[in-house]
Amino acid sequence: MADLHDEIQREIAGNPILVYGKGTKDAPRCGFTLETIQFFNRFGYPFEVVDVLENMPKRQALSEMTDWQTLPKVFIDGQFYGDTDILGPMAESGELATLLEKTFAGSGVSPTIQLR
Amino acid sequence: MIDTVITALLRETMPDAAVEVYDLTGTMDHLEVFVRTKAFAGVSPLDRHRMVERALAPARADGRIHALQIRTATPEEPHG
Repeated sequence: MADLHDEIQREIAGNPILVYGKGTKDAPRCGFTLETIQFFNRFGYPFEVVDVLENMPKRQALSEMTDWQTLPKVFIDGQFYGDTDILGPMAESGELATLLEKTFAGSGVSPTIQLR
Repeated sequence: MIDTVITALLRETMPDAAVEVYDLTGTMDHLEVFVRTKAFAGVSPLDRHRMVERALAPARADGRIHALQIRTATPEEPHG
């Protein structure tokens, strides 16, 4: 279990936007994972999707770490933000755009598309 | 019906909950639920979702709910 926690912490630390989901970016295997990929595509910042569909121990570790039972699970800048139920309203209020700008500030990464 | 089940489960911990259930796929197991209760006052969006999921855990566990989108609001908030 400790190894899994380390692996997850490394992934979270290494990716400003990280989605744990079912399936990959190219081949999502769950409607909500697909929706989350489309959601972040709209923002144009790079993000990583880690497929944990078949990895029950890792799913268990993630659920315990976040007190959140369902997939996908989204981390931004090391913080847990739940899923698009949480992020959707944050996008509407502009809070998410501000968070992403802050997250990528100074990283040399700018969004590939601008929606404003 | 699943909407009656969901409302009853939510009201066990949130007795004043006003609950709307939407069937997203026509199969009655991919659902959207909108919960309005004063229990959400001062509670973060993440914790509101945790409260709803915890209340609905029995229906999750036995598969009556397969997929669930959650919106939340207090009586004072305009919408979820």
